[in-house]
Amino acid sequence: MLKKCLDAMIPLLFIILSAGPAFTADDGVMQTINSATTPLDDGKRVDSVLPVPSNTVPVKTKYLGRLFRTETRKDKIERFKCSQCHNNKEVKITRAAEIAHGDIVVVHGGQGKPLACLTCHKEDERDYLVTELGSRVDMDHSYQMCGRCHFRERRDWVGGAHGKRVSYWAGERIVKNCTSCHDPHSPLFEKRWPKTYSPPFNK
Amino acid sequence: MDPRDHNNCRKQKEPNPLEGKTCGRREFLKGAVKVAALGSASMATGCGTEVFGSSEDLQLRWKEYFKKNYRLMTQEERGETVRRLERLAKLKRNVDIQMSTKGPIEDVLFGYGFNVTRCEGYMECVAACVKENNLDRKSQTQYIRIFEMEPGVLTPELGNGKFFHKVPVDNRFYMGVQCFHCENAPCIKACPTKATWREPDGTVVVDYDWCIGCRYCIAACPYYGRRFNWNDPQVPLDEMTKKQHYLGNRMRSRGQTEKCTFCVQRSREGRLPACVEACPTGARVFGNLLDPKSEIRFVLKHKKVFRLKEDLGTDPKFWYFID
Repeated sequence: MLKKCLDAMIPLLFIILSAGPAFTADDGVMQTINSATTPLDDGKRVDSVLPVPSNTVPVKTKYLGRLFRTETRKDKIERFKCSQCHNNKEVKITRAAEIAHGDIVVVHGGQGKPLACLTCHKEDERDYLVTELGSRVDMDHSYQMCGRCHFRERRDWVGGAHGKRVSYWAGERIVKNCTSCHDPHSPLFEKRWPKTYSPPFNK
Repeated sequence: MDPRDHNNCRKQKEPNPLEGKTCGRREFLKGAVKVAALGSASMATGCGTEVFGSSEDLQLRWKEYFKKNYRLMTQEERGETVRRLERLAKLKRNVDIQMSTKGPIEDVLFGYGFNVTRCEGYMECVAACVKENNLDRKSQTQYIRIFEMEPGVLTPELGNGKFFHKVPVDNRFYMGVQCFHCENAPCIKACPTKATWREPDGTVVVDYDWCIGCRYCIAACPYYGRRFNWNDPQVPLDEMTKKQHYLGNRMRSRGQTEKCTFCVQRSREGRLPACVEACPTGARVFGNLLDPKSEIRFVLKHKKVFRLKEDLGTDPKFWYFID
């Protein structure tokens, strides 16, 4: 009787064992990934990597001890340095502010609590951004300013989940600056038509 | 051309896992066809070139027809076929292409992240992919599909994949779908000619010339990751990407299956795939899964990630994440 019972159990056991979960988190590629813990120098493995462009600066924060670079900002501001106009001398042109900065629309900040010019800029420190604690921020390192409020985005940007790398996944890490993608005065992306569409279109 | 030089069954070959017999059916057929052709050519001496078109074109196509599976070729043979294909492109389309057979980089496993929160549906990635990979303009083949999704739904089947209006729309999010380069890919198992396989760097690629067009792989893929060429792909010459890879964006023909290769022609040179480079919102992350300092590893470690149809056990290397 017992033997019969056992005989019946064996195929049943077999079925139970073989019908386990098809996939678990510790299986397959996750296991490969989790066991890879040695940092790799991609630059040496890949033949062609981006030569470090001149319009980048080293970021003042490291990620896991690895330095990385970001695109510059100052060379893209039309009238930098600001102190060329914003100095103690008198401005004689009428409507000078409108001519110089009329294109700037500030759509930044929460509903009903918009940011003012002087939230990031200071009257007596025109060539730099100034945080609310009074420390100067170079315009090439605007992540230091943006990260004061957007600290989650900054953390993700340092690690690589926010923002994007420039051209190459290998070699020296060069990432876009906050202002490479966002207009600091109205940082939200605009609504626009998509570049293309997917067929079938009229179905 | 003496057939005995090229086609000798007794020739010593390297042992390989794909071919058990040293004198296989293909080798035999190769010999038989060549002998037959030699016979008919000798009967029709004098008018050979008229019958077969340009002799160079014929010779190249002849050799191309009987080449091995890419995985069985030696590096020399790969070089030869690439030179033939470059020359054929010149003869057929009058275009100068550079084709590479660059192999996978050591200690690299490609992985991809897609930020569902950041994608705004601008479709820049789709356009860049079509251009980079020389996709058929006539049938509008696209490897990537972007779905406009209602909140709370994470199955692309329920999204709108045909949207064409100003984006982003309020209270909608966007989700891109393409080949996920599964570690345990069902398409590879389905292929009867071993024309598709997983490269050591994790990408799933196709040897187009060994694809017989049975479309088993398309049926096997649970993600709609593969595309079929019902007609000869048409690409305007001035828009063609000339820098090509044998396993990547070289021109396909009618009756061949194709798919995303993580832009093998770019990624093996350290560059980002075209979709990642084109993305204006930074929703796409690409990198080496084996490097703990890479961006994709940061995403896997610090973000809420999920994969599509994970319960199927296909083990894709494409993670969606949210901010």
